[in-house]
Amino acid sequence: MNAANSSQWLQPAFNDPVLDAQASFRSALKALAEPGLVQPLNRALALENLQPATYALCLAFLDGDTPLWLAPRFDTPAIRANLSFHCGCPIVAERELALFALLDESELHDLAHFNNGSERYPDQSCTLLIQLDSLSGGPTLRWRGPGIKDVRSVELPLPAAFWRQRQARSAFPRGLDAFFAAGEQVIGLPRSTRVLDEISRTEEAA
Amino acid sequence: MSSSAIHSNPQIAARQRWMGVLARAGATLAAYEAVLRDADYRLIRAPEIGMCLVRGRMGGSGNPFNLGEMSVTRCVVRLADGRTGYSYVAGRDKQHAELAALADAHLQGPEQQHWLSRLIEPLAAAQRAQQAAKAAETATTQVEFFTLVRGDD
Repeated sequence: MNAANSSQWLQPAFNDPVLDAQASFRSALKALAEPGLVQPLNRALALENLQPATYALCLAFLDGDTPLWLAPRFDTPAIRANLSFHCGCPIVAERELALFALLDESELHDLAHFNNGSERYPDQSCTLLIQLDSLSGGPTLRWRGPGIKDVRSVELPLPAAFWRQRQARSAFPRGLDAFFAAGEQVIGLPRSTRVLDEISRTEEAA
Repeated sequence: MSSSAIHSNPQIAARQRWMGVLARAGATLAAYEAVLRDADYRLIRAPEIGMCLVRGRMGGSGNPFNLGEMSVTRCVVRLADGRTGYSYVAGRDKQHAELAALADAHLQGPEQQHWLSRLIEPLAAAQRAQQAAKAAETATTQVEFFTLVRGDD
């Protein structure tokens, strides 16, 4: 696909590029600072099957220095054209090279090969942008860690395989940070958050 | 105003030419504002001002060096029928960038000849005349240096 043919897919992005990007970035920061709390993220319009919050995260985070890996569901001409045009981010086919990954729920069974940083540069890990249909309705899990006083109950509808994958790729300070976006909302899950999965289940059983 | 690299594809070369004329048009483009805006369009990328690095080569063939940065304004518009117009212009004039992008979109349509004769040719002629006048004015200040050869042969 060359540039001459891709312009038909282009859509406007943020209304106010500066303020909307700042507000979206701020929401994303708050989402990571207080894991599990829902933050509003409504500065962008949906782009094909990218929901507003997911697209706003892309517009706020991505630029020419951030290679992006696209899940097959999001690998459409319109999404490619708009991300290349508005963000200028290179789109890579190899997971190892990506600094950001755009995922849907069908990709959560396998987080292999995403870069989880090094001991010396844990910040160079890949950040997962995960679009869900909803941010609630899943099993209640209790999160604990920096940014959470005591524990926080979160009901993300995620397969158990995701938590196993996350555990497998986690060796603090290395690990994967994730944002879960649905509609116009976002929840952050930094690598420092511990998920008290087993405890919650035993208590429910008791 | 010499185009150093003319594209081998005539369509692209023609577009390069009119984009160049539009980019140099500056405030003269404002005279065409009413006809250019007389279409249904929306901004894909609203006019935005940024910086761009200008590089040069000593003598035109030496090693590249960074000359400095200049301000650039760019804009992208989409007409109702889906044509997309782009503009990159020097300076900080947002209206100029938007009108140039609109003109680029119009020029890609079926009425290309109309727009070329009505918009681009007059602008190009004015730019040529202006450049010729400036060259003539500069020429009057030209100083010829003569070196006397010493007779030591």
